[in-house]
Amino acid sequence: MASAFLLDMTRCIGCEACVLACKAGNELPVEMQYIELIERTSGTFPNLVGGFENHRCYHCTDAACVAVCPTGALFKEDGLTRLDRDACSGCGYCVQACPYGVPKMVGGRSSKCDACASNVGAGGSPWCVTTCPAQALQFGDREKILAEAKSRVAALKDRYPKVQVYGETQAGGLGLVLVLPDDPETLDIPADPPLVPVTVDVWKHIVQPVSMGATALAAVGAGVLGVIARRNHLAELKELEEQEKAGVAAGGSESTEEER
Amino acid sequence: MARVDLQITRRQFLATGLAGTALAGTGMGPGRSNLSMRYPDPPWFATGEVVTTYNYCDMCPWKCGIAVQSVDGKVIKIDGNAPDPKSRGRLCGRGQAGVSFMNDPDRLQSPMIRTGERGEGKFREVTWEEALDYTAEKLLAIKDQYGPESLAIFGHTSGDFWFTDYFAQAWGTPNAAKPSSALCLSPRDEASTLTFGHAVGGHEPMDWEEMQCITLIGSHIGEDARNTVMQDFVEARARGAQVIVVDPRFSTAAAKADYWLPIKPGTDTALLLAWINVLITEERYDRAYIDQWATGFDELASHIQEFTPEWAAGITDLSADQIRTTIRVMADRSPQAVIMPGRHVTWYGNDTQRMRAEYLVNSLLGVYGRHGGMYFNKSPFLDSYPHPPFAVHGSSGGCSAEPGEESDVLPLGPSGKARADGAREAFLRGPTAMQELIDPMITDDPYRIAGLIVYGTNLLNSVPMPNRTIEALKKLDFVLAVDVLPQEHVAWADVVFPEATYLERYDQLSTVPHKTPFIQLREPAVPPMYDTMPGWMMARELGLRVGLDAFFKWETIEEYLNTRLRSVGSNLEKMHEAGGVIIQEGKPYLEDFEADGGTPFHTPSGKIELSVAELAEAGLDSIPVYEPTEEPPDGYYRLLYGRAPVHTFAKTQNTPDLSAVYPENELWINEDEAVALGYANGDRVWLENEAGDRTGPIAVKATQRIRKDAVFMVHGFGQQSSGLTNANGKGASDTKLMSRYKLDPISGGAGLRVNFVRLTEGG
Repeated sequence: MASAFLLDMTRCIGCEACVLACKAGNELPVEMQYIELIERTSGTFPNLVGGFENHRCYHCTDAACVAVCPTGALFKEDGLTRLDRDACSGCGYCVQACPYGVPKMVGGRSSKCDACASNVGAGGSPWCVTTCPAQALQFGDREKILAEAKSRVAALKDRYPKVQVYGETQAGGLGLVLVLPDDPETLDIPADPPLVPVTVDVWKHIVQPVSMGATALAAVGAGVLGVIARRNHLAELKELEEQEKAGVAAGGSESTEEER
Repeated sequence: MARVDLQITRRQFLATGLAGTALAGTGMGPGRSNLSMRYPDPPWFATGEVVTTYNYCDMCPWKCGIAVQSVDGKVIKIDGNAPDPKSRGRLCGRGQAGVSFMNDPDRLQSPMIRTGERGEGKFREVTWEEALDYTAEKLLAIKDQYGPESLAIFGHTSGDFWFTDYFAQAWGTPNAAKPSSALCLSPRDEASTLTFGHAVGGHEPMDWEEMQCITLIGSHIGEDARNTVMQDFVEARARGAQVIVVDPRFSTAAAKADYWLPIKPGTDTALLLAWINVLITEERYDRAYIDQWATGFDELASHIQEFTPEWAAGITDLSADQIRTTIRVMADRSPQAVIMPGRHVTWYGNDTQRMRAEYLVNSLLGVYGRHGGMYFNKSPFLDSYPHPPFAVHGSSGGCSAEPGEESDVLPLGPSGKARADGAREAFLRGPTAMQELIDPMITDDPYRIAGLIVYGTNLLNSVPMPNRTIEALKKLDFVLAVDVLPQEHVAWADVVFPEATYLERYDQLSTVPHKTPFIQLREPAVPPMYDTMPGWMMARELGLRVGLDAFFKWETIEEYLNTRLRSVGSNLEKMHEAGGVIIQEGKPYLEDFEADGGTPFHTPSGKIELSVAELAEAGLDSIPVYEPTEEPPDGYYRLLYGRAPVHTFAKTQNTPDLSAVYPENELWINEDEAVALGYANGDRVWLENEAGDRTGPIAVKATQRIRKDAVFMVHGFGQQSSGLTNANGKGASDTKLMSRYKLDPISGGAGLRVNFVRLTEGG
């Protein structure tokens, strides 16, 4: 079952409570921030449209960051894009690949929202959702979130003629479903984010697995990306693959329990 | 003399513990089995027992009820307290950063006594015994030489009660002041008292749940991040309520508005008079309500005849059509249509009259005591801790004063002196005006003020004319600074008392006048860090040393609080178990008063006074008129200022998490003006006012979101204190550009939007 956030930008009042709740609840070091609010304005005085881009991970189903991540530090779980910072090697591919410009390198490792995996795993909600004074945020089953977004859009047509759901289809469907009062471009959000390049997909799913230890092919893979991968990636990858197997097994048993 | 062993603080805390707080956190238990396998480190709430304590937030003056979660004696996470009527389980960004505020490495850590010159910031660390004894000696010397009135006490934020209210009244000085009065709320509260017979109250009594139209005049919901107001505003709007925003700037709230009126600064009263004109001439006002509950209507009706929308259009830069349309939108939804009383309303010096004009519109719409309008708030019942009669009653007043302070006769101190701020002469009424106490410190007129206690007020970054304040600080015999951080003025103190933050102390109970009056608990999550002390303990220890033993009879704060709580059938333990809040019944609507034949309006007439005789008797306008404000000279812009959602006043700029999110302010200037001046976004400029005061550098934000005749910046930046790692020298200071203000002749408020600045290069 996929989970998702609902972010209703007709409600967001730009207070940044989400930003600080995320920092506090996840005990992020002072220089780390998973959410950033960026003021966006279009038009000329006094005919203006304004709002905030709530810049954070969009949790793409076809996640470019996951596709390019050579260590598996970025991975999909419950429809969300997780990041295990301990497994990150700091190559920075995700920073370049993300169509929304979300991951940042902090302290030599990737940094981005993981949808409060630990808190949600313990039966809670993401910290941004629980605090939002505007109740612009919800979190839950993606199908229900999408339905909620659509029903809100229907109810908001009078006030916002261009109101729309964003995230149903983009990047294979987003785990951050937005209710936007206007076209996404007004908030500097791409209407159609570029898909994961085929070359990256090929590298990740065909070249990389086959070429474990095969220097030449690895070099080809690196060449495709235009970046030289670190040598120790290969050793790390092997180790991580073993961990991944354990992880997948555990994940499988969990979902069985849930189905009961 | 029964003194508390000062070394006991921490020990006592650990021994007695927190009454009944060894409970697991309500939200999160220890870790569950289904944490993601990919995260080897358990999250904080899975590493030990989560202990929850209840508190009210001190990151801004709004005082949201909070639940504080700690693990192994470490405070980790603060959330809104679900049953609290202010937070309802949610919290703003500043509240979320409370742990970061507490753990700020720049905190004052030990009591200190000055060794260098005033302003040099050279101190030696001393014991509490020495700091308290020395301070007591200095205070008593001032009292002996000049009388108790010669001690001024300035205080702000939630512990200020102990100094600005309690100690001041016991000691006998009428010169206690809060910036929340004359630098903020006085005009709206005096206007309300004159019109309705009661102040607005700290928590504006807006009946949001049924409101159909909200008008904001210079209120910046969203940028002003008061949690409850944001919740209510967004919810009302989502329900379909219309929003009208009057602001020279396309604020966050303006971006949410159905109607934005980009008014010329300083002309709001003209707009309000035109709205009244339309309501009366088009007979859109609530005639039955006015007949029953108001006096002075005929006078008002003849007063506003010439103030047509066409007249106001020429003054306000708005169109007559905009003016008519918006008041009709309000009238169509009355009485569920309210102009929200602003908060910081000391703008142009005629502010009480402007606020009166707002209230007249509201009155004509029939909103007071009506569902979906403005309800009548009620203070919660709670006995005081018994104490002897005060030496002077009602020292400071303001938004957190005990009710009933205002009287016709100014209270006199023990040596027969009234307030030194010029009340009843320079201005008519209202609480002690902080900025009016600075001149007496320099001139000894009307009498010498020789000592100053500053509790939690960032003196040089909140009171206008900071150069004058420094002159006063140089002349005082004694200055005590009580603070959590080495704010700029702390360098000018003789003694520094480092305070424990709200997360580290018990404190006075917070009593909130409300639709459902309520009482909030503050209990410590952890003992005081470093060698700090709660404010109540400092005030008590000083009191015991200056002969005020009778006012500080309690041995422990727990005894004090339990004694008060007994009057509502509770105690600390019960209140903790009840979730840290006690909610009582209110009397919010007109029908509640009609039932027993009473009136909610405590004016001379017992009704809403559209025309005020007291003003006419004082030679002032009984009904508001529009007074033009001075225009900026060529090359200058009017300086406007406001808030960023993650900062409070000049208090939070150094808090690591908040500084990381919003490290410095920017200068909003109309993009076309910036281009004409040759500046682009991000260019760094210095600002200079007409008096030649300079501040900066500040980054230019060239934007379409502001009129061409004004610039805007977030207040509280441009601080100069080397002890503040994150805040020192960041951005520009609006306060340092306030080389003048215009005194409101009614409330004593300091109109601050009368300063003009230009952009310059270099330092």
